Amino acid sequence: MIYDASVSGRSARVEVRGGAGRYTLRIDGTAIEVSVSDAGPGYRSLLIGATSHELGVEREGDAYRVSFPGASVVVTLAETARGGATLAPREQGPSRLTAPMPGRIVRVLSSAGADVVAGQGLVVIEAMKMENELRAPRGGRLTELLVREGQAVEAGALLAVVG
Amino acid sequence: MTTRRFAKVLVANRGEIAVRVIRACRELGIRSVAIYSEADRSALHVRLADEALGVGPAPSRESYLRIDRVLEAARSSGADAIHPGYGFLAENADFARACEAAGVVFIGPRSETIALMGEKTSARREAKAAGVPVVPGTLEPIADEAGIARAAEAIGFPVMLKAAAGGGGKGLRLVAAPGELGSALARARSEAKGAFGDDRVYLEKALLRPRHIEIQVLADAHGNAVHLFERECSIQRRHQKVVEESPSPFVSPQLRERMGEMALALVKRVGYVNAGTLEFLVDTAGEPHFLEMNTRLQVEHPVTEMVTGVDLVRLQIRIAEGDVLPLRQADLAQRGHAIECRVYAEDPDQGFLPSPGRITALRAPGGPGVRDDSGVYEGYEVPVHYDSLVSKLVTWAETRAAAIERMRRAVSEYRVLGIRTTLPFFERVLRHPAFVAGDLDTGFVARLLEESAPPAPPLDVAIAAAAIAAYEERRRARSQSGPPAGSGSAWSATGRREAHAARLGTSG
Repeated sequence: MIYDASVSGRSARVEVRGGAGRYTLRIDGTAIEVSVSDAGPGYRSLLIGATSHELGVEREGDAYRVSFPGASVVVTLAETARGGATLAPREQGPSRLTAPMPGRIVRVLSSAGADVVAGQGLVVIEAMKMENELRAPRGGRLTELLVREGQAVEAGALLAVVG
Repeated sequence: MTTRRFAKVLVANRGEIAVRVIRACRELGIRSVAIYSEADRSALHVRLADEALGVGPAPSRESYLRIDRVLEAARSSGADAIHPGYGFLAENADFARACEAAGVVFIGPRSETIALMGEKTSARREAKAAGVPVVPGTLEPIADEAGIARAAEAIGFPVMLKAAAGGGGKGLRLVAAPGELGSALARARSEAKGAFGDDRVYLEKALLRPRHIEIQVLADAHGNAVHLFERECSIQRRHQKVVEESPSPFVSPQLRERMGEMALALVKRVGYVNAGTLEFLVDTAGEPHFLEMNTRLQVEHPVTEMVTGVDLVRLQIRIAEGDVLPLRQADLAQRGHAIECRVYAEDPDQGFLPSPGRITALRAPGGPGVRDDSGVYEGYEVPVHYDSLVSKLVTWAETRAAAIERMRRAVSEYRVLGIRTTLPFFERVLRHPAFVAGDLDTGFVARLLEESAPPAPPLDVAIAAAAIAAYEERRRARSQSGPPAGSGSAWSATGRREAHAARLGTSG
């Protein structure tokens, strides 16, 4: 299986072969031997050569979040064998502001039809006793503003659209 | 006051501090009664307590803050005393008074003391009267904007605008210049009104690069009091502490003794009983200025416990039972060095946005000199309704350098999946040259976030792990029989996480 992988600005073509905990990978042509063992829920022990890595590997949408002790990164993969391709985030087209966590809308700072600049505060959401200002992902006309003050929202709920 | 022994204590709190108090009760042979909201039925404190009673719906003002329901739980369970923890009702004089009236012992100071020290300007007046220097500013709340503007001019900008009923960084505004005063006042008042139901404010001079250093005290009802030295709490974000340590790398033996004496002078003046903390700002010249007194157990009490060997919660209970303090000042010493990192359910990569949700995997660090005061467990769903603190990780070693090395090791062992936490942020703090050098002030976190990008993990390892996971999933999907139940759960268990994985950004 061959994937086009993308993580934190690095892209690589990676080929995976093997099974039953032993894999041979070629990352941009460089071969590595990897031994994998499940290490409890969500965790995997990887031995790359003799170097031990304990990693969290979680599905996050279509991607994988890989957690190291000091940081976590999101790896997107596209199967090249099937002709798929990684979709780069689109800079054009409408941009959607969604709730990053469940919470309550305590303030609405703009209104539909207004022109907003990137980073401008649109709504304030309260969760875990903290008020968090959510900002416009980019500049443009605020074509939709879908919440009102006092409203409870679920994680992922669409709050506003910048057209 | 005569000594008695409690048979049963109600813990009027939740999360890690409820667990901490329940543990102390169990060690003393006291039955513990937990209270819980509808959102907390599955919380760790409920599982660990001997008894547990529901006190209402998820919002804390309808449950943990309901004095009538908490007292009814105490009455129906036959509790002799109530430990309030920190937060919620811990510094509520009305609650302490209601306990006194109901004949149940409030494990803390007398209600009059809570009221006296809870109003920040009266605390400042008491400190001044006890000969303790305070941060320059007003000694009374000021009502009108013109009066505030005049006082600010007299003190000199920059000034801090503070809620008289304040605490926890609410109703607090830094005002750099006269032009900012009007809007800062409006926001401070509105926040103070919302948080405390009291919009009175006062002014303090804003000190340049202050250190936040506090003194732990213990006092019994017989007039005996000791201090348990200092905690350094300068590592803060949004006026909330994230890393604390004891001793402070900055405090000299002379300053330590001086601050300890100041603390005891105020404790004696107000007839303080039980555990409390005096917070000071220490300016760049090394002069301490009293800030406020917290009339309760402090979140960061474990660092004091680690260096003094004193169990503060155990002594809180003994003092409330009427015991004479078993310690004299001469018995106390700081041994070694302790550091605490507060593990919050917040995403440091997104400006510390809250990150509630299910903890799909959890392994706490162990080994020598490591203590983890946690309120959660693997499989637990961190609720959205309460403070985001999930655990306090504490390390102890003979020296500060060794305690930092040990904390780095412990943080790297601490694994949490399903929610984001502040653990990766601590990796950056603990490696920062200024932190390692002990060069700390309350602006440290803001500067850290500006100056250094988090170190990149080995990206090819991440790519390898993700590609293998995708490859395995593909193979399982192809073998139509599918994986045996359980073997695929490591991957599918993360489905809940996706609900919390929504990101701000551009999409189709």
